Amino acid sequence: MSIELLVQALLNGFGLAMVYVLVALGLTLIFSILEIINFAHGEFYMLGGYVTYYAYALFGLNYFATLALAILTVGIAGVVAERLIFHDLRGKALNAFIVSLGLLWVMQAGAQLAFGVLDKPVPSAFSGVVRLVGLVISVERLVVSLSAIVLIVALYLFLRLSRPGRAMRAVAQDPDAAALQGVNIDAVSALGFGVGCALAGGAGGLLAPVFAVSPAMGALPVVKAFIIIIVGGMGSLPGAVLGGLLLGGVEGLGALFMGSAAVSILGFAMVIVVLLVRPRGLVGGA
Amino acid sequence: MEPRQWEAATPAVGIALITLAAGALPLVTRDSYYLDVATTILMNLTLTMSFRLQVSTGQINMAHISFMGIGAYTSALLVTRVGLSFWATLWIGALVAALLAVPIGSVALRVSGPYYFLITFAFSEVVRLFFNNFFEGLFGGPSGLVGIPKPGRLFGLIFDGKLALYWLMAVICVVVVVALVRLDYSRFGLTADAIRQADLVVETLGVNVFRFKLTTFVLGSFVAGLAGVFFVHYRQVLHSSDFGLEPMVLLVVFTVIGGTGSVWGPVVGTILMTIASELLRELHRLDDVGRVLVTAMKRDLGLATKHRVDALERTLDWFDKYLK
Repeated sequence: MSIELLVQALLNGFGLAMVYVLVALGLTLIFSILEIINFAHGEFYMLGGYVTYYAYALFGLNYFATLALAILTVGIAGVVAERLIFHDLRGKALNAFIVSLGLLWVMQAGAQLAFGVLDKPVPSAFSGVVRLVGLVISVERLVVSLSAIVLIVALYLFLRLSRPGRAMRAVAQDPDAAALQGVNIDAVSALGFGVGCALAGGAGGLLAPVFAVSPAMGALPVVKAFIIIIVGGMGSLPGAVLGGLLLGGVEGLGALFMGSAAVSILGFAMVIVVLLVRPRGLVGGA
Repeated sequence: MEPRQWEAATPAVGIALITLAAGALPLVTRDSYYLDVATTILMNLTLTMSFRLQVSTGQINMAHISFMGIGAYTSALLVTRVGLSFWATLWIGALVAALLAVPIGSVALRVSGPYYFLITFAFSEVVRLFFNNFFEGLFGGPSGLVGIPKPGRLFGLIFDGKLALYWLMAVICVVVVVALVRLDYSRFGLTADAIRQADLVVETLGVNVFRFKLTTFVLGSFVAGLAGVFFVHYRQVLHSSDFGLEPMVLLVVFTVIGGTGSVWGPVVGTILMTIASELLRELHRLDDVGRVLVTAMKRDLGLATKHRVDALERTLDWFDKYLK
C-alpha cells in the first residue's frame, strides 16, 4: 500500500471534519454556558440548510452572502429559542434533554409542513478538483473546509478578545462569580445560545450543496458532533478541533481498511475507549 | 387508619390496584384493539419500571433499550435457528442481557453525570449498528428478521391469541412490578435514593456505591431483556431500529412525565402516555369518518352548502397530506 493512498484516505476523512467541528463547537459552547445538552442542535443546522436552499438555490444570492444570512437567521432563531424555552433550564440536564427532544420533533415536523418531506438539491458553487503531488482534492470540499476554519478562528477571536466573548467564558467558569462582577447572565446566556446555533446554521449552509437539504438532515452531523465533543472534552474549543481531526482520521482510515459498514461503529468505539482512559475527554478540565 | 398507616399500606394498595386492573380488563372487553393497547401498556410499564430502578440511583441509562434488543435478538435466533422453546429462551434472553450488562455497566459506571448519559448513548448506537451492519446472515441486517413464531404451548395452554398473550404479559408485568415496588420500599430503595442525593456521603457510610449501581444496572437489564423476548414473539418481526434512539427517548419521556422521584411515577406516566398516543392515532380514524360524511353530503346538496363541503374536503386533504 502506497503512502499516497494512506494520505488520500486521511484527506477524505478530514474533508468535512471541520464542518462537524463547527456543529460540535456550538454544542459545547451551549453546554459550557447553560450546562445543558441541546439535542435539537441538528435542527438549527437544518434551518441553515433551508436558508441556503431558498436564498442561494432559488433566489440566486451570492454563496458567501447566503452563508452570512444563514448564520444570522439561525443565530436569531437560537436567541429566540433560549428566551422562550431553555432560559429556565440552566443546569437541569434531564429536563433540558426532554425539552430539547420535544423541540427537535417540533422543528422537524414544522420543516416537513413548511418545506415538504422531499430532499431539495442545492447546486454546487464550485466544481473541479485540485491535483497536488498525486493527491486529488475537490475544490468544493476545500472551500467548505477553509470556510469552516475561518469561522472557527473567528469564534476563537470572539471568545478571546471581545467583551461579550469574555463574559461568556466567565459565565462558563462560574455564573455566580460572573454575575457579581456585573456580567448580565441573562443576556450572555441568550447570546451564547444564539452564537452556538449560528455556528450550526453556518455548518448547514456549508454542507447544503454537498448533501441535499431535508427535514431530517440534522441527525448525522449532530451525532458526529457528540462524538467530537466527548472525545475532545466538553466545553473545550481546542478539544473539539482535536476531536474532529481524530474522528476524521479514524473514519478515513477505517473506510480504507474495514469498509463503510464498519466505519459507522468506529466513532462510537472511539468514544468508549477515550472515556475509559480519560473520562473528561482528551482536553477536558475538571 | 392513621396517615402513617396509610403510608405503610401504599405499596400493597398500589400493587393490588394494578393487579386488579390488569386482571379485570379482559372481563370488560375482548376487542383485539383494546387488548393490543393494554398489552403495549404492560410491556412499556415493565420497561419504564426497570429504567426507573436505575434512575433512582441517578443513572440516566440511554442504553437501556439495547438490553431489550439483546434479549429480543437472542431469543429470536435461539427459537428460529436452534429450535428452543419460547419458555426457555424467555429466561435465556433475559440472562444474556444481564450477563452483557456486567461488562458494559462496569465500563459505563466509571463516569457519571452527562458523561454517563453520553457513553451509554454511544453504547446503544454501537449495539444498534452492530445488529444493523454486521453478520447480516444472522441478524438480518437492515431488513431485520421476520416470521418469528409466537410463544406456543405450555402445560396444555396455547399462547398465540391476543387474549392469551395479554395474560402472559400481565403476569410478567405484575411480577416485575411487585418485585421492584417491594425493592423500592425496602432498605435497597432507601440506599438508592441516598446515592442519588449524595453518593459521596453514602460511600463514607460503607456502601460500595459502584457495586450498588452495577447491581441496579444488571437487574434493570435483566428485566429489559425479559420485555425484549416477549416483544419479539408478540410482534413476530424484529428490526434494529426498534432499539434505537426514538424508542429509548419515549421510554425516558414516559418515565420522566410520571415523575422519577417515586416508584409510582412510571406507572402513571406509562399509562397516560400510551393512551394519549393511541388517542392521537384515533385522529386518523376521525379522518375516515369525515370522508364517509363528505361522500354522503355531496350527493344532493344545494349550491349554498356546496362550498362548505368543499372546504371540509380540503381540510381532510390537508390532514391526509401532513398527518398520515
